[in-house]
Amino acid sequence: MEEFYLQIRQVHIGAVLTSGALFLLRGLGLNLFNAAWPMWAPVRYVSYTIDTVLLTAALMLMTIVHQYPFMHAWLTVKLVLLVVYIVLGSFALKRAKTRRARLGFFAAALLVFGYIYYVARAHHPLGLFSGLL
Amino acid sequence: MNSAKQLWILLIVLLVSSFAVLLWSGREIEIAKPPVPERVISESGQTIYTRAEIERGRVVWQSIGGQQLGSIWGHGGLVAPDWSADWLHREVIAILDQWAEAEYGAPWSELNEEQQNGLQGRLRARVRQNTYDPETGTITLPDERANAIRTVSTHYEGLFGADPAFHELREGYAMRNDTIPDAENRRLLGAFFWWTAWAAVTERPGDTITYTNNWPSEPLVGNRPPASMFLWSAFSVTFLLAGIALLGWHYARTHSQKEEPHDLPKVDPMRSVVVTPSMIATGKYFWVVLALFLVQILLGALTAHYQVEGQLVYGYEMAEIFPYSITRTWHTQLAVLWIATAWLGTGLYMAPAISGKEPKFQALGVNVLWVCLLIIVVGSFAGQWLAVMQRLNLDQNFWWGHQGWEYADMGRFWQWFLFIGLMIWLILVGRALLPALRANTESRSIIALFFLSAVAIGLFYGAALMWNEHTHLSIVEYWRWWLVHLWVEGFFEVFATAVIAFLFTRLGLLPVKTATVAVLFATIVFMAGGVLGTLHHLYFAGSPTPVLALGASFSALEVVPLAYIGFEAYDQWRLSGATPWMRRYKWPVMFFLAVAFWNLVGAGLFGFLINPPLSLYYMQGLNLTPLHGHTALFGVYGMLGIGLVLFCLRGMKPDLVWHEGLLKTSFWCFNIGLAGMALLTLLPLGVLQLLAAINNGYWFARSEQFMQQPFVDLLIWMRVPGDTIFAIGALTFGLFVAGLWLLPKREPPEPEELTRTRP
Repeated sequence: MEEFYLQIRQVHIGAVLTSGALFLLRGLGLNLFNAAWPMWAPVRYVSYTIDTVLLTAALMLMTIVHQYPFMHAWLTVKLVLLVVYIVLGSFALKRAKTRRARLGFFAAALLVFGYIYYVARAHHPLGLFSGLL
Repeated sequence: MNSAKQLWILLIVLLVSSFAVLLWSGREIEIAKPPVPERVISESGQTIYTRAEIERGRVVWQSIGGQQLGSIWGHGGLVAPDWSADWLHREVIAILDQWAEAEYGAPWSELNEEQQNGLQGRLRARVRQNTYDPETGTITLPDERANAIRTVSTHYEGLFGADPAFHELREGYAMRNDTIPDAENRRLLGAFFWWTAWAAVTERPGDTITYTNNWPSEPLVGNRPPASMFLWSAFSVTFLLAGIALLGWHYARTHSQKEEPHDLPKVDPMRSVVVTPSMIATGKYFWVVLALFLVQILLGALTAHYQVEGQLVYGYEMAEIFPYSITRTWHTQLAVLWIATAWLGTGLYMAPAISGKEPKFQALGVNVLWVCLLIIVVGSFAGQWLAVMQRLNLDQNFWWGHQGWEYADMGRFWQWFLFIGLMIWLILVGRALLPALRANTESRSIIALFFLSAVAIGLFYGAALMWNEHTHLSIVEYWRWWLVHLWVEGFFEVFATAVIAFLFTRLGLLPVKTATVAVLFATIVFMAGGVLGTLHHLYFAGSPTPVLALGASFSALEVVPLAYIGFEAYDQWRLSGATPWMRRYKWPVMFFLAVAFWNLVGAGLFGFLINPPLSLYYMQGLNLTPLHGHTALFGVYGMLGIGLVLFCLRGMKPDLVWHEGLLKTSFWCFNIGLAGMALLTLLPLGVLQLLAAINNGYWFARSEQFMQQPFVDLLIWMRVPGDTIFAIGALTFGLFVAGLWLLPKREPPEPEELTRTRP
């Protein structure tokens, strides 16, 4: 399996970027332009599919590099923040009752997404701020 | 004589004759089975193994999970090798190496083709020769073979122990370290493995095929499919086509006859059914179904993950607590247990609903049986864990530990307890149904069939009690398939057909007479292939050619009704829209439609893919087997179990609004997840293994070399998407059921119901 490490990593990164970009577009479309398409069934299903690919690739990478959440701090942070991101995203697109609240959740979700990205780049729980130590 | 009476007579004649032939086949297997020798000696007079050692070795093998860790004669788990094929290959390589070193001074693999062919020719002649002496019960082997046995035995003793040199191989086979801590037990395990390999390579007296009908494929010893396998495979396809043509003619004739129009009820008739205390008491059965189902999925994920990390689960040393053989045991056992519990609960719910009578202490009986089921699950699982972790004395293993027979793994005590539980269930269902059976109504025939299938479910579990600790392997397999095939694939099918038809008659959507004839006819068609179809599981388990022929022919007929399952599905779909109130039953009916779909794909197509003897010769124990297993067991019986649970819940809580979104998500996740699991991993991996088995021999398709290839790893990982989607389906179904109790939302009464008085 190690033989496919680079390809799997590329798939994982590609899925992360696609997932984030789609969330950004959906959030903007829904909250700034009041568009209906972000909640269309095909768009939602594409989002689920990308996230499933992302998850599968992440599990494969974990097994290849032998680093796991609750054993390695940066992965623990990623996992916890992922849950936070999902909850914030759900409120940003669906559950928050007012547009203002949705925008707030949307911005918070993007911030969390960005932080997760830097944690992954740095392999450090402080992510962007790891250089400060 | 009316047509229902004619069909009853036909059914009785069919069952009597089919079971007579099945019992006769058992006798043929008893006569033709490979002998267990009293002694195995070398030509120089050294004793290699004794009967007691071979039998004790089998007990050791059973105690570590038996068929749940690797397989024997192709029956069992898929990650570790088939031990018979693996032993055979290693033994013949060891013999060839001895000859090559003696004659050419190099190992066999380094000889040129001509030299290799010469040694192979000698090997075939010697190793296939049957040297068993029935007078003395002795097998005499050449000295070089005795040496080879010692070499292979040393390998297995290291593998099943804690030798670090074998650590990587153990990981590849998903075995825990020190699987068998006792050194003598490890040696005895080898005795049993050797005997199964001996049966696979030794020709029957006076014949040129081995006791296992030349299974497994092993080019080095000339194990290739015998002529009878080609012949009966071709005939099985012919019988299938003939059966399809015959049933097609029947459908064309009967479907052109217009049904008499009948008035459909204006309101749901099931809403007028009085929900008795015992019917309410069945609610907890459905909670247990849900709990067992969720645990089963979790164990399935663990079991699948062991294929990747061997002993770890995302870095955690899980194999030290729950090794592969225990997670697989529980995964397979829970599949049967939760589905069975769903059906038992359905029987207990339906019986008073049918008769309209609640016998005295019925609710008490339902509650007692429920407690018994919990004790059986917890007790048998605890015993199995103790056995696999080798914390149980071997002498206690058969009664309290792990029997090692796939789907019949629980200790004998627990099997008896379950059998008694089923008898209690039968009594409870029977006494509640009795008033309806006595009443001379039009429904009596269909109720009788429902009751008879319940009797069969109760009694036929008794097949699991037909073998003992040292019963011959071929005979254990014969009875085990009575249990797995006849119980699960036979009588549950009749039970389900009768229940679904009966439900539609109770809903007033089907005239009773039409339903009765349809159910009786369907039962005859199912049982015509189903009873003797049992034998197709026994092609390579020491059965003679006539048994193989019967198995091939009749199991092909099992597929015939599945070819026309579209008729049944269409009728159910049509009935689901027959009245406005049928929308209340949309999701039970959708699950029944899924049953029809997976019956065609999982049982019919994937089942027939591996069914003819020639196909199964190469495919048995490859990933094409679980392709059929998962899609048929969950696709058909699992979906049916869920459909029946939903139907009962609708009746038990008639006034609640159902969360359609959860059910819709659950339904599609189950189907898409199952399809993903089948098409992304099991089918492609099975096909790759098949090509490897045909080109290089069966041992190679199951070997660590093959299974640890990067591409195979990648295919195993492809299970994650399907499994994840499937698990989401189970969780949403769980949320739906929990919501009925925890967050019930009542629906407003319909106008007709405002004026209706409930009886």
